[in-house]
Amino acid sequence: MMNYLKRYYILYLMCLPAMVFYIIFKYIPMYGVVIAFKDYNIFEGMTASEWVGLKVFKEVFSQPFFWQAIKNTLILNLLTLLVSFPLTILLSLMLNEVRAPKFKKFAQSLLYLPYFISWVVVAGLVTNLFSLNTGSVNMLLSKLGIGPVSFLIEEKWWIFTYIVSQVWKNLGWGTIIYLAALAGVDETLYEAAYMDGATKLQRIWHITLPSIKNTIVVMFILQISKMMAIGLDAPLLLQNDKVINVAEVISTYVYKVGLVRVEYSLATAIGLFQAIVNITLLFIANTLTKAVGEKGVF
Amino acid sequence: MKDRGFTILNYTLISIVVLICLYPFLNVVSTSFSSNQAILAGNVSFFPVEPQLGAYRQIIIKIAIWKSMAISVIITLGGTIISLFITTCAAYALSKEKLKGREVITGIILFTMYFNGGIVPLFLVVKQLHLLDTLWSLVLPHAMNAFNFIVMRTFFRELPESLEEAAAIDGCNEWMLLLKIVLPLSKPIMVTIGLFYAVELWNNYFNSMMYITNPDLFPLQMRLRQIIFVDALGQNADSLVTMVMPEALKAATIVISTLPILIVYPWLQKHVAKGVMTGAVKG
Repeated sequence: MMNYLKRYYILYLMCLPAMVFYIIFKYIPMYGVVIAFKDYNIFEGMTASEWVGLKVFKEVFSQPFFWQAIKNTLILNLLTLLVSFPLTILLSLMLNEVRAPKFKKFAQSLLYLPYFISWVVVAGLVTNLFSLNTGSVNMLLSKLGIGPVSFLIEEKWWIFTYIVSQVWKNLGWGTIIYLAALAGVDETLYEAAYMDGATKLQRIWHITLPSIKNTIVVMFILQISKMMAIGLDAPLLLQNDKVINVAEVISTYVYKVGLVRVEYSLATAIGLFQAIVNITLLFIANTLTKAVGEKGVF
Repeated sequence: MKDRGFTILNYTLISIVVLICLYPFLNVVSTSFSSNQAILAGNVSFFPVEPQLGAYRQIIIKIAIWKSMAISVIITLGGTIISLFITTCAAYALSKEKLKGREVITGIILFTMYFNGGIVPLFLVVKQLHLLDTLWSLVLPHAMNAFNFIVMRTFFRELPESLEEAAAIDGCNEWMLLLKIVLPLSKPIMVTIGLFYAVELWNNYFNSMMYITNPDLFPLQMRLRQIIFVDALGQNADSLVTMVMPEALKAATIVISTLPILIVYPWLQKHVAKGVMTGAVKG
């Protein structure tokens, strides 16, 4: 034992910075969720505040805006998925059919670009493009005799704009996983099909798609399991007072309750509720992916 | 012949998608170089109209923007170094099959991918540590990322065992082995993970919104947000009204703050796409 330690203590030392980080910034905050069961008092601090059981949760569930935020989260996530999921697969299939390596590479590198742009910039680009009086989109519409649409202020159009920006930012990047799966498809199958006189579309439909079916199913289950989780950046940056009824999602609501209104217990309870739903969905998703014969996430 | 039609259609459609991808950038660059009248009339699309440099002249004298740029550079460089150090050490040590307790430590790291305490408890920890309104608050609370850890550990695991045996014979300890032999072999993964961290640090604005109230410490994204969204509401109508349309100024600020990403982009997309695949396949 002493020998083992003498040889390997350096490896344990190497783990130390990471462990300190995880304890301070991950596990202490995890313990911090106890304030969801307390009446947090800034002057008494986390430990001295009074236990109140599930009172805070009752308060959360009685707030109409909480349910509104959940509904908005689900609507935005579901609509984004509905648009982006098929488009991502379609674009992957299209890229996969490109036989000129230079064109493919060129297209791919440009398609990945938006993924690396910050949401602040994306929101800036979106307000620039969709602005009522000077934006390119409304200019185009007015040439077609339609016009002007308040993309950022009218509720249904705001949802549209939100989805467009999500799809614009993530579409290209999303193809990576499918392209990797497509790279593994057996080439001889195509040759055989070609000999049999199958057209390009028939080949895609009967060979390409079935061979990435598992990837598609797993990605879909994973996406569905993330329905209650929503990034804070996009909705927070794009929203304004006029669309708040459709644009307030769980993450932005937690931020406002906790850090703007300084109701720590309430915000923590909402966050905890969301985290529990998320992890439950993930467990279900994991079981499902294993059921379709894939490796699962854990 | 049918296939030929398909191919033409396919290339055309892809080109259109690429164009849609690029158009917002082209448009914002054009706007930043265009004249007031042209922007107001909505004439700017692919190219600058009545080109001028007014917006950039204004930005050059806006010290706040350059200060924020400097802060972003500092936290991106410093943060990347800190994050790389923590991640590399842990990934290297935990890639060793023989290390006892490896599963437990790895489990502690991976569990955080699925559950966390939420933003309020984290905020209270940062506050308790007196990190509010310091640049540390932008670096430390997210210094290590479990996904990056997995990618790196996968890489280290695939290094040949013989390296280690040779080093043991030479009397190298684990620390020297990592520094002198493993790291020089690990340049690609270091670049990949370093870029992951750097992009995240450069692009993040929410941390500064949570932890920074002193405008002198605003990183670039936070400053950008202020210029694009707050100034627009007229809450900060200082010198902007003079010569240049706020639209052009906003556009120019967007261009300036995206430029660093565009400069490292060729690198970025080459390395990072590969890294994502390793993580996704082997995670």
